Amino acid sequence: MVALLGRTAQGDHHAFEEVYDLLGATVYGTIRRVIRDPCLSEEVTQEVFIEIWRTAARFDPRRGSPLSWVATIAHRRAVDRVRAEERSAARARRAASHPVAYDVVAESAEHNLDRERVRHCLKRLTDLQREAVTLAYYGGYTYREVATLLGVPPGTVNTRMRDGLIRLRDCLGVSL
Amino acid sequence: MRLPHPHTLAGAHAMDALDAAGERRFDRHIRRCQECRDEVAELREVAGRLAACSAERPPGPLRERIAATAQRTRQLPPAAGRAAAGWRAWPAGWRAWPAGRTPPLGARPRRLAVPLAGAVAVAVAATWMIFGSGRQDQVPRHPVAAAVAAVLTASDAVMMEAPISTRGSATVVMSLRERRLVFAASGLRALRPGHRYELWLMGHGRDRPVGLLPGPSHGMSGPVIATGVDRGDKLGLTLEPAPGSGHPTGAMLMVLAL
Repeated sequence: MVALLGRTAQGDHHAFEEVYDLLGATVYGTIRRVIRDPCLSEEVTQEVFIEIWRTAARFDPRRGSPLSWVATIAHRRAVDRVRAEERSAARARRAASHPVAYDVVAESAEHNLDRERVRHCLKRLTDLQREAVTLAYYGGYTYREVATLLGVPPGTVNTRMRDGLIRLRDCLGVSL
Repeated sequence: MRLPHPHTLAGAHAMDALDAAGERRFDRHIRRCQECRDEVAELREVAGRLAACSAERPPGPLRERIAATAQRTRQLPPAAGRAAAGWRAWPAGWRAWPAGRTPPLGARPRRLAVPLAGAVAVAVAATWMIFGSGRQDQVPRHPVAAAVAAVLTASDAVMMEAPISTRGSATVVMSLRERRLVFAASGLRALRPGHRYELWLMGHGRDRPVGLLPGPSHGMSGPVIATGVDRGDKLGLTLEPAPGSGHPTGAMLMVLAL
């Protein structure tokens, strides 16, 4: 994948299309969780891949994996877009109609080892940690919005988000 | 209400869950905290795994639309342009800031990730002044100036400044990828005959001389290029007897953590 990004950076369209084939579902799926609307999700997915095309030369494998780089671009854009499109009150109302802790991993039809590992590791978080991480990452909420939704102080939410990710990191064995 | 320590914002930041004020606060902190930068990079990796878990096949026609759009979209080169454009999309970890230690002399070097155009303007101007060239051409043909340009146009170039304790200040542009830096100083105190300023690369169990500063021209001394530079090294400046020394004998006039 690193090599594919390298070739993409040099203008290789075939390599770029391969990047899409490998990471398109991850990007679209992540965006879709945050944005929900399928048309807008498609639009933002396209924006993300065009940004990947434009900035492939800026990717530095020493600073992280291709997945992390792409997921960061995708999640950032999705969050920016949903915050621009929906006012906070409307989003809070929408959130109130969804169960607070939902098992995002179970919703998809595809099962594979990585997915199972994340499911397993998510289960090892406390309820509050899992909910904070889920609402932030898949819901695209700010920590203050999460605090309102969960009825806990914002400082507590920040701590839970960090603790939750650290616990996931250790459980998944992620390191740089 | 006391604000919590910015460390605690790392998780929210890695998941884009900070609001604008939180991002500003965290951004100010992360410039001085290597540990936080490393942590954010790792937490972004975790977030990547969460992203992969929610993978969902996009609609079929999207692939072709993206390919077609890419055909008419120009790519950014690896160098040039504001670093900030890539930074938004990248963990804050890449932005090189000092580890928060105070160098022994009690002066704090400031490190700036500047637009490369600015760094080029500063250092090329210094270079041309030093070599006394009145030419207006942009491409340096002098081998030293070409080496300087190679550092400046590296995608990870950062610029640092540090005061010299006796007088003057130093500017360093460094690329860890190239393992090179360019050093220039201005306003240095004039030397007695038989003495020269000497630059040192210290760390990882060895101290080695980088070179003697050339005599000042228009108030600027340098540039001096150091190669084989690694993260964790320090750059030092001392006053030495004229032929230079194998080890620093004078007091350190500047120590810059790289």
